[in-house]
Amino acid sequence: MASDRIEGAWYPPGASQRNAAHLRAGPGGELVVETGGAEVARAANADIELSDRIAAAPRRLSFPDGSLFETADNDGVDLLTGAQASASGFIARLEQFRPRLFVFAAIAIALSYAVYRFAVPVLVEVAVAVTPPAVPGVIGRSALASLDQAVLAPSELPAAKQAAIRSQFEALAAYSQLGAQAYSLNFRKGGSIGPNAFALPDGSLVLTDELVQLAADDEAVLGVLGHEIAHVEGKHTLRQIYRAAGVAGLIMLIGGDIGAAGEDVLVQGSALAAMSYSRKQETASDRRSVELMLAAGQDPLAIVGFFEKLNERYGDMGLPSMLSTHPETLRRIDDVRAYAAELKAKAGQAAPN
Amino acid sequence: MTDTGPWSGTLDEGGLPRELPRTVEQFSFTGTAREYFGIWIVNVLLTIVTIGVYSAWAKVRRMRYFYGNTFLAGSSFDYHARPVRILIGRIVVLIILGLYNLIANIYPPAAAILFVLFAFVLPFFVMRGLRFKARVTSFRNVRFDFHGGYWGAFKAYVVGSAITWMSLGVLAPIASRWMWTYLFNNTTYGGRPVTSDPALRALYGQWLLPAAMVLGVVVLFGLSLFAVYPALTALFEDARSGTGDADSMLGLLLTILSIALLPIVILFIFAGLIYAAGARNVAYNATLIDGRHRLMSSIGRWRFVWINVSNLVATVATLGLARPWAAVRLAKFLAASTALEVEGSLDGYISRIEEAGPAVAAEYLDVEGFDFGF
Repeated sequence: MASDRIEGAWYPPGASQRNAAHLRAGPGGELVVETGGAEVARAANADIELSDRIAAAPRRLSFPDGSLFETADNDGVDLLTGAQASASGFIARLEQFRPRLFVFAAIAIALSYAVYRFAVPVLVEVAVAVTPPAVPGVIGRSALASLDQAVLAPSELPAAKQAAIRSQFEALAAYSQLGAQAYSLNFRKGGSIGPNAFALPDGSLVLTDELVQLAADDEAVLGVLGHEIAHVEGKHTLRQIYRAAGVAGLIMLIGGDIGAAGEDVLVQGSALAAMSYSRKQETASDRRSVELMLAAGQDPLAIVGFFEKLNERYGDMGLPSMLSTHPETLRRIDDVRAYAAELKAKAGQAAPN
Repeated sequence: MTDTGPWSGTLDEGGLPRELPRTVEQFSFTGTAREYFGIWIVNVLLTIVTIGVYSAWAKVRRMRYFYGNTFLAGSSFDYHARPVRILIGRIVVLIILGLYNLIANIYPPAAAILFVLFAFVLPFFVMRGLRFKARVTSFRNVRFDFHGGYWGAFKAYVVGSAITWMSLGVLAPIASRWMWTYLFNNTTYGGRPVTSDPALRALYGQWLLPAAMVLGVVVLFGLSLFAVYPALTALFEDARSGTGDADSMLGLLLTILSIALLPIVILFIFAGLIYAAGARNVAYNATLIDGRHRLMSSIGRWRFVWINVSNLVATVATLGLARPWAAVRLAKFLAASTALEVEGSLDGYISRIEEAGPAVAAEYLDVEGFDFGF
């Protein structure tokens, strides 16, 4: 077999001049290139740099002197040099079109899904656990500072009203896992963001005057604050940040092999998934509000009063719920009612003992 | 396996005094969806299994498959990057992007500063990325090289995108001209220069149709919005005063409007593809290699749109499994639309191999989806 000649082309050292040539094994096992009957290159097998086999693409043998032998005869080169035993030869055989490729495809799809479904959440939990407490502090302070600069204005609520809400809030926050001292309540005039309340990861809660005015009574405001406490307890902001980073990393990982347009589709898809994740956090926080209010001896359905006001004023804006970070208001009302009833039933079972 | 026969022939341009014969050599891509499917799925699978480490080897195999199957005048191209270099480049890029996002999330005001900083770093990445890409590319045992400088990249990519956006696309041909001349005029093959001088007039000729499409749609959408505007404001009033049905009507209208935006976005993408194809034709046809071999590009613009759109639809509909077929299809189409009018022969070039340097910049461009149509 070693006497076989491999047909191809030879280029002189560093030059583009193409010469029809053939490659054969010499008597001492070295490889020899001949063109027109004359020997033009010779080197030991080990000194020649052979390119990896990739389907039927031409193989290249780079000689130490800078000359190059190029051939489409992949099998011949493998036989002559023994390259099929190498790691890349193994990969090249895996890549051949066989039914097992479809098994590979199924495994790849299953693994991608598993990474997204299980590995990303685990990584998020790990990242949340190792985040130093200073990080939420910096996020919270800088976010509040830039909001104060851009949208919010000092509150115009009477001091007495503020004090009343604050004392009720502190009583409620005492029932949270982190205790009342983990939170600070900030009153602001919402301006363009209107009736709103939000939580920053360092435990700063912002409550707008507009929300206090819209809510029927202070208890409804308290229900909303219970919801915001739950966002802080659950470290929802950090989880969102890490999750987005994890999914982006996953997309980048396979990015080169799915093409730019495919990558765009995945990025858009992950944005939709992030909204669904956010809606889940909202629902969880609604439920936590019910629990906290119950624990504090307040009306567990207080937040419903606020939702009803919100719905009366704004209605549903008609955005499909898939495209929103919050669930539809009516659905939230139903969910909170159902959850409160569930808790009540449990308490009823426990009480007779 | 090379298929130059039917395409090659001697052009006869009487009147021009010259001694060397001119031959049109057609590019061709000989890969098949069947072959590439195997390479692709093994790449994806091993990348997942090795938590991304194999992605560097995967990239080299993918590039070598596409370069190795792209033929011109009986020889194919080759890609010489070392996987370990690519891996290091990718790790560095991931760390940079991770830090950027971390800072942007922890301290949002810093993101604005970083964005400005980024505008100044991007040209450096472009210049080094293009150099890496050129230096790891060979044809007939001879390497390419790239000598572009920082300010050229700054003008072509930063100033170019800025004026394109600020003029709502009116100045896009000027940006295209900067980009293509930066790309080509700084490239050398075997130490011999490539020169390109796409005429602004010709680029605007290609810009006309997509611009008219965009303008037409915007006007149409504006007019329809104008027509429903009174009804819309009345509804808003009703909704504010709490009239029962107004809410749901308003919701319905807003839904219709947002659905109407979808075909508009698709049409914008069409316009972008049409322009990209036309600009490539103009730029290639104005390019000379070594002052004598002329590049030729004849992409059918609508066919280019059709191939890209149907490729995307097929890829998404098959959960990505049609991607190899789509990639091969596009490569075949682009190769078949490209040719080189060779004066004399491609024999007399001598390689000057330069150290390719770190792959960080090239990997950054890759991860961020920059695409330079070679």
